[in-house]
Amino acid sequence: MSGWDGFLHGLSVALQPGVLIYCVLGVVLGTFVGVLPGIGAMATISLLLPITYYLSPEAALIMLAGVYYGSQYGGAVASILLRLPGTPQSAVTTLDGYPLAQQGRAGVALFTSMISSFLGSFFGIFVLILLSGVLSRAATAFGAADYAAMMLLGLVAASTIGAKHPAKGFAMVVLGLILGCVGTDVNSGEQRFTFGQTELMDGVNLVALAMGLFGVAEVIANIHVAERTGVPRRIALRELLPSRAELRRIPFPALRGASLGSFFGALPGTGSTISSFLAYAAERRISRHPERFGNGAIEGVAGPEAANNAAAISAFVPTLTLGIPGDPIMALMLGALVIHGVQPGPLMLAERPDMFWGLIASFGIGNLLLLVLNLPLIGIWVSMLRIPFRWLYPAILIFVCLGVYSVRGSSFDIFAVALIGAIGYALSLARFNPALLLLGFVLGPLIETNLRRALLISRGDPMVFLHRPIAAAFVLATAALLAMSLLQAIRRKSRGPDRVASVNGEAE
Amino acid sequence: MTITRRAAFMGAAALTLCKPAFAQAAWPTKPLRTFVGFPAGSSPDLLARIVTDPLATALGQPIVIENKPGAGGVIGIQQMLNAKDKDYTFGTTINGPMTTAPRLMPNLGYDVATDIMPIVLVATSPLVLVVAADFPANDLAGFIAAAGKEPEALSYGSVGKGSGAHLTAELFSDRAGVEMLHVPFTSYAPVTTAIIGHEIDAGFMAPSAAMQYVKAGTLKILGITSQKPFAQAPGVPVMAGQAGLPADFRAELWNAFIAPTGTDPAIIKTLNTDINTILADGAVQKRLEDMGWQAAGGTPEDLQQRIAQDTKIWGAVLDRIDAKN
Amino acid sequence: MKHDIHDLASGILLAAIGLFVALYAAGHYDIGSLRRMGPGFFPAILGGVLAVLGLMIALPAWARAGHRGRIAWKEAGAVLAAILVFAAGLEPVGLVPVTLASVLIASIAAPDRRVGWRLALALGITVLSVVVFHFGLKMTVPLWPGQA
Repeated sequence: MSGWDGFLHGLSVALQPGVLIYCVLGVVLGTFVGVLPGIGAMATISLLLPITYYLSPEAALIMLAGVYYGSQYGGAVASILLRLPGTPQSAVTTLDGYPLAQQGRAGVALFTSMISSFLGSFFGIFVLILLSGVLSRAATAFGAADYAAMMLLGLVAASTIGAKHPAKGFAMVVLGLILGCVGTDVNSGEQRFTFGQTELMDGVNLVALAMGLFGVAEVIANIHVAERTGVPRRIALRELLPSRAELRRIPFPALRGASLGSFFGALPGTGSTISSFLAYAAERRISRHPERFGNGAIEGVAGPEAANNAAAISAFVPTLTLGIPGDPIMALMLGALVIHGVQPGPLMLAERPDMFWGLIASFGIGNLLLLVLNLPLIGIWVSMLRIPFRWLYPAILIFVCLGVYSVRGSSFDIFAVALIGAIGYALSLARFNPALLLLGFVLGPLIETNLRRALLISRGDPMVFLHRPIAAAFVLATAALLAMSLLQAIRRKSRGPDRVASVNGEAE
Repeated sequence: MTITRRAAFMGAAALTLCKPAFAQAAWPTKPLRTFVGFPAGSSPDLLARIVTDPLATALGQPIVIENKPGAGGVIGIQQMLNAKDKDYTFGTTINGPMTTAPRLMPNLGYDVATDIMPIVLVATSPLVLVVAADFPANDLAGFIAAAGKEPEALSYGSVGKGSGAHLTAELFSDRAGVEMLHVPFTSYAPVTTAIIGHEIDAGFMAPSAAMQYVKAGTLKILGITSQKPFAQAPGVPVMAGQAGLPADFRAELWNAFIAPTGTDPAIIKTLNTDINTILADGAVQKRLEDMGWQAAGGTPEDLQQRIAQDTKIWGAVLDRIDAKN
Repeated sequence: MKHDIHDLASGILLAAIGLFVALYAAGHYDIGSLRRMGPGFFPAILGGVLAVLGLMIALPAWARAGHRGRIAWKEAGAVLAAILVFAAGLEPVGLVPVTLASVLIASIAAPDRRVGWRLALALGITVLSVVVFHFGLKMTVPLWPGQA
């Protein structure tokens, strides 16, 4: 069955009323849990998993998948309006989405994110239909050295985000890398920096870290400020939508983001985080107005949002065609299939075409539904900003705590939120960028384990990074990027300090 | 299969509403809690649910599954031991937290011998030795010959130090008299990719996970670590007694129900009897087999013995690993 | 003489953290070799790098005047206390009492001094969280004391 025939066959599966209803249910639920601070797709899917025992395998998977990509739409809402990202991917969206919201342009930011998410998803679906065979081979072609080199590129590319104070940006990345070391060392089994706490053996909880750094810190900083500035005025419907000039700034960043997302998402690991950071860094680099970034650049919302939605779709490629889940959410999806006696893997496409193509068709239906559902909701989300902050912030705190607890039923993680929140507030006072800390935290363990594994496998020969073509390409790209940044810095210096200030007038 | 299972669940749900006739004097009078040290949807979680659904019917009270994942299942046990209501709290565990965790984790917080009361062994699973489909050797003897050429001529993947895959491979290396390079990963999925992509040579993994790659022609299986052939891996030769391996060579993962010390022994007995009845059911056995497990059963003493036995075997393997580094 | 206090303090703090991490890693974990990097290899290097970066932030800040933001002590105290109470109380006393208590504590920081809206808010959020998490998502968490 060719890709296109398969997709049409899948539509006939996904449009059955008994399946369609769960697709609707999934995306609606996903949107709402995505909007709620703290609770994301991961927690929701693991809480829903036992319920899916009672559904057909197709309906179960389509519903859970709906929750997953639906939460990507919803996650952008909390990131833009409240600077409350549930995941590292949506942390990138806060960089420009939140400044837009503060300028009274929340509607524009939300519209941009919705439409870019939609474009990204459909791009991802087409890539999936046309190239799923190629993408699934990419997953086995990547070895430890290739992963290490790729993560390094992601890290270096993204580190340039906080360019006003390079030392401060790098310090956050390094602090994130250090936090990523906490827990059991994969290679030696050694407990690093756990100080006798069993709860730290699996590392610092990612959701607790994101919620503490962004959510709690933001609440503390805003209680006073929000009361003083008062309630924003009512906004006319026309102001919710971007102007024609702004609209024109969406498609190309979205397409670039979607291409990055489709490629990196298909690689097991943390493709979607890397792709959204890379998309942001790329847009900033090719923009003629890099100074806009961090101050509410439309491109800074469109690129990353398209990237992470495209990645969310293509992440299903290794999960379904190789039985290799790329992230914990995909592992849960795999679990959902196993409950129903379906073993995802190389034989899935041949043995269960209904399920494979039905799921892909449901992506299309689901994303269409999400767009239809979310565009009218923009007005409602924006009017949420008119609720006085003193009514809002205690609710945010409770939902953050419960969301963090729901990840693995651990009170320890809520204590961790308080500590991380205090640190996050201190960092925001000194104007550090917490998104970079989060990036370091996510990529650190992957770089370390893959680097060590690559050297172990090569019996200690560092040349492995140049002998493998994929790794060599990434190493060269990283070197080129570093050289470019260095050159730029030198040129800026020679131009004098006034110019530097205006070029780098971006928020930290 | 889905239909029958759904029907069984519905039946179970309906039955929990009315008390069965045999329920013994006044226990249980309220819902029971089962701690599972792994996330929802993981294999230990699914295994627990296969048993607790019919068990809830038999006991006439719902059983609430509490997923407390972390530290390889240890956090679930710690949480079970912290619960106050002893007669209504029990847990499921895999072999690790009962056998090797005391060696590997300095702050375990419990003593298997004094804090845990075994209930019953639920299921066991052997591991299979896999290599890429184009690996030069086609049997165990050929593999051992290739591995024995020089130390670390071959490499194998595991899911971390002290994991079943690591310990099994080291036990195998010791008994076969070879030395392989250990490459740790975080989960079985990347181990599989690394073998298919020829980054590493071999690995021990669950038969159910390996079989589909064999069918797809990307992996091949050289042997299984159980004492008898395994239904889910048809045609795979038993490793024990082959190619110079001793006849008592055996490495199995297992899954068991346990209770905190202080639980009424009569309750342990009731649970043991009920779970043994459930495990004797053909439909339950089939579901376990589909997931790559073999139903076990037996007395609490059998489980106690299994824990002691495995603690000794794996302790010796860990000694050997520590001596090497 | 004016200093950029925020950068100065944060730089010194980061340098101290970096130094601690590097020394702790070097003292407690095996550094290993290039072929077999030990568990101490990465943290030791990262700690060193962070210490240098911390100094790079702190030193220029000494000679430069900086902005001085207001530190929201009261808000930070109320918010963090609310989270700590929630963490300590969720499992022993249950979702309902702990949510009421945490909302009331968190609302101390709000500038509106009246009591009525606080109680209404606490009740509203409690109902919402029970509906969403207990009934909606079927999270296993006790609602009242004595259910654990």
